[in-house]
Amino acid sequence: MRISKKILVTMIVPLLAVFLFASEGLAQKKGFDDKEIRIGSWSPQTGPAAPWGATSRGAKLLFDIVNEQGGIHGRQLRLFIRDDQYNPSQTMAGVRDLVDRQGVLAFVGGVGTAPALAVRRYLAQNKIPLVSVMTGAEHLNFPHNPWLWALWPLYDDDASVMAKFLVEKKKFKKIGMLYQNDDYGLDPLAGVQRRLKTYNMELAIAVPVEPIERDLSSQISRLKAAGVEAVIGYVAPTQAAIALRSSVAIGFRPQWIHSYNLTDFSLMNHITDGLWAKEGVMTTAFTEDILDFKIPKMKEYADAAKRLAPGERWGIFYAAGITAGEPLVQALKQVGRDLSPEALVRELNNINNFQGIGPRVTWTATNHLPPAEFRIWQCGPKGEVIVLQDWTKNDLPKKR
Amino acid sequence: MINMKRAYYEDIELFKSGTIVFWTIVFLAVLVTFPLYMSNYYLYLFSLMMVYVIVSVGLNILVGSTGQISLGHAGFFAIGAYGTVILMTSLSLPFFVAIIAAAFIAAFFGFVLGLPALRLEGPYLTIATLAFGLAIMHIIGHTEFFGGRQGLVAPALDIGVPQLGWSYVLDSMISKYYLVLIFTIIMVLVAINILKTKAGRAFVAIRDSDIAAEVIGINLTMYKTLAFATSAFFAGVGGGLFAFVLGFFDPFTFNLILSVIFIVMIVVGGLGSVMGSISGAILITYLMYDLFKNVDEVPVVGALLVAFSQQFMTITGMDNFNYIAVGLVMIGIMLFEPLGLFGGWIRLKKYWKTWPF
Repeated sequence: MRISKKILVTMIVPLLAVFLFASEGLAQKKGFDDKEIRIGSWSPQTGPAAPWGATSRGAKLLFDIVNEQGGIHGRQLRLFIRDDQYNPSQTMAGVRDLVDRQGVLAFVGGVGTAPALAVRRYLAQNKIPLVSVMTGAEHLNFPHNPWLWALWPLYDDDASVMAKFLVEKKKFKKIGMLYQNDDYGLDPLAGVQRRLKTYNMELAIAVPVEPIERDLSSQISRLKAAGVEAVIGYVAPTQAAIALRSSVAIGFRPQWIHSYNLTDFSLMNHITDGLWAKEGVMTTAFTEDILDFKIPKMKEYADAAKRLAPGERWGIFYAAGITAGEPLVQALKQVGRDLSPEALVRELNNINNFQGIGPRVTWTATNHLPPAEFRIWQCGPKGEVIVLQDWTKNDLPKKR
Repeated sequence: MINMKRAYYEDIELFKSGTIVFWTIVFLAVLVTFPLYMSNYYLYLFSLMMVYVIVSVGLNILVGSTGQISLGHAGFFAIGAYGTVILMTSLSLPFFVAIIAAAFIAAFFGFVLGLPALRLEGPYLTIATLAFGLAIMHIIGHTEFFGGRQGLVAPALDIGVPQLGWSYVLDSMISKYYLVLIFTIIMVLVAINILKTKAGRAFVAIRDSDIAAEVIGINLTMYKTLAFATSAFFAGVGGGLFAFVLGFFDPFTFNLILSVIFIVMIVVGGLGSVMGSISGAILITYLMYDLFKNVDEVPVVGALLVAFSQQFMTITGMDNFNYIAVGLVMIGIMLFEPLGLFGGWIRLKKYWKTWPF
């Protein structure tokens, strides 16, 4: 083991140089300057969950519209989107990249429970607000996290309003439920059961579905055997379509009602060959009808989308991204020119009865919960939205 | 491979030459001082790389050295992650005890999976291990005790013994990075040494011809299951560290794709070589997590690619550049260097040895 001194010196000198002149400091970069405000977002742009990625691009459209109108108090909004393929370890990489290397003031949107759970702690440690995170799963919001503001309503609230409507307005006696066997299905299952208890009723049957299942005939047979008049569905769009097809095929035609995630009637009609409209499927909803261009904001956004992002489909997820961005833009406007992370937090906690094209949002310093107001829609014969019940607040929230 | 050895001692020594010692020390020095000049993002990325290094070094013992195959390593990885966290939270074991215990649980499952390997080969063994990986994912997803499909949030990483009153919580990414670094160095040394023991030579003999190995007195039952158990142990340790590097995991994290990625790492790196596993794991992790992730913000090239994507691909086409690049690199390596990165390294060494002739 003989190493000549010459080699040793030539090796160690560059090493030392790297140390001394390393450019990338440890100090976190600021999320804004005099000219721009940098905001981050993550969503699956590739992979099986890619359709949800439209949300981040919807937020980008909103920022582009704001920028066209001169930005916010002289600053342009810049959105950085990171593709995480719905993989929490990728989300963490993307989020750290934006926080440590790019410098962002806040995150907007952010799709999925698992990714959000993975980065929640890190964002709180670094005091980066996560605004309008896109998941209705409950345990993300409890206990109260001062750095996370939720917009996507809780499935528990959604299901409770839905059950009340079915019992009180529609007078159904035998209600069944088809639910995805994870928190997307289990949270609302509890909500429905709590609501039915107040009428001394019980679910006639509750049938679980695995997220990857593609043959639902046994589940449908069980629902049919139980003789239910209405079925509450908490499943993914594909499975809702399969369930509807297989139930019609065996002549079982209950009133279907699905969660607010399935309000894209034109898409649902497309993948059920029109059965969605024929069967008059109902859903809850927490936004305005995205095809109702009599609403001025909706028309403005849809027109802007045609102009600024001609390749995009004007769909529910794209619009949801706009919905997610609106409260953040509002808070930034309220802050004024003297921007700082603290000021942004102060104004986010000061969003009061704000409504864009989504639900009415109120956040306070101790309450970052999403809105609990829903409408009930039915798919009309031409695939149009029929409003069966206007904004209704859940009057039976879960005790926590 | 191309190493001329004249004595048994040369075969078992850890470092072949002073040059290797020197470069190993330099490499370690860079890794140790890394947090001084790199941002937190890189600490996370490097911690992730090292976790994958541990897994792929272990997997290479099984695939590269023993000639078996496993498409179920995500399962062992999951057992390590879940085992460590659950042993810490429900039995309140100290971290070091928990991670080793979890790795032994993974090793036990490895041993069990090794049993069918005694009778199965090639594609049949692949299917058996694949089924194991998928089964683990679904069993965990369906069991309330394991947090079901909602996943688990890792507790605070306390490397002391809180029951005895001295606890030391690693909270920052820097401290976790060092912890993973120490584990990686130990596990890599263990792997290098295993291959130089009787067991290691038995593995290689089984790979080259299991009948011949049995004829010369190698107990196939023992060494095949031992290879599976050892490999699973590495994956278990990796999983335990992964749980704390990320801080949260759900069953779907440990899906089939992850098992495939592990195989890709060792094939791209070079089968049957520890250095190959290390370089493969580092390269693939970098490609998947970092390359082109911010493609539209790269100066000049970014704008060009955006224009290309909008012209010829869909609106979401941009992010596919990452996939395309990863795929091209993999194809390129397999095409031009079938022995993987390690094969390339050997060729490079030979070339320079005779330079300039």
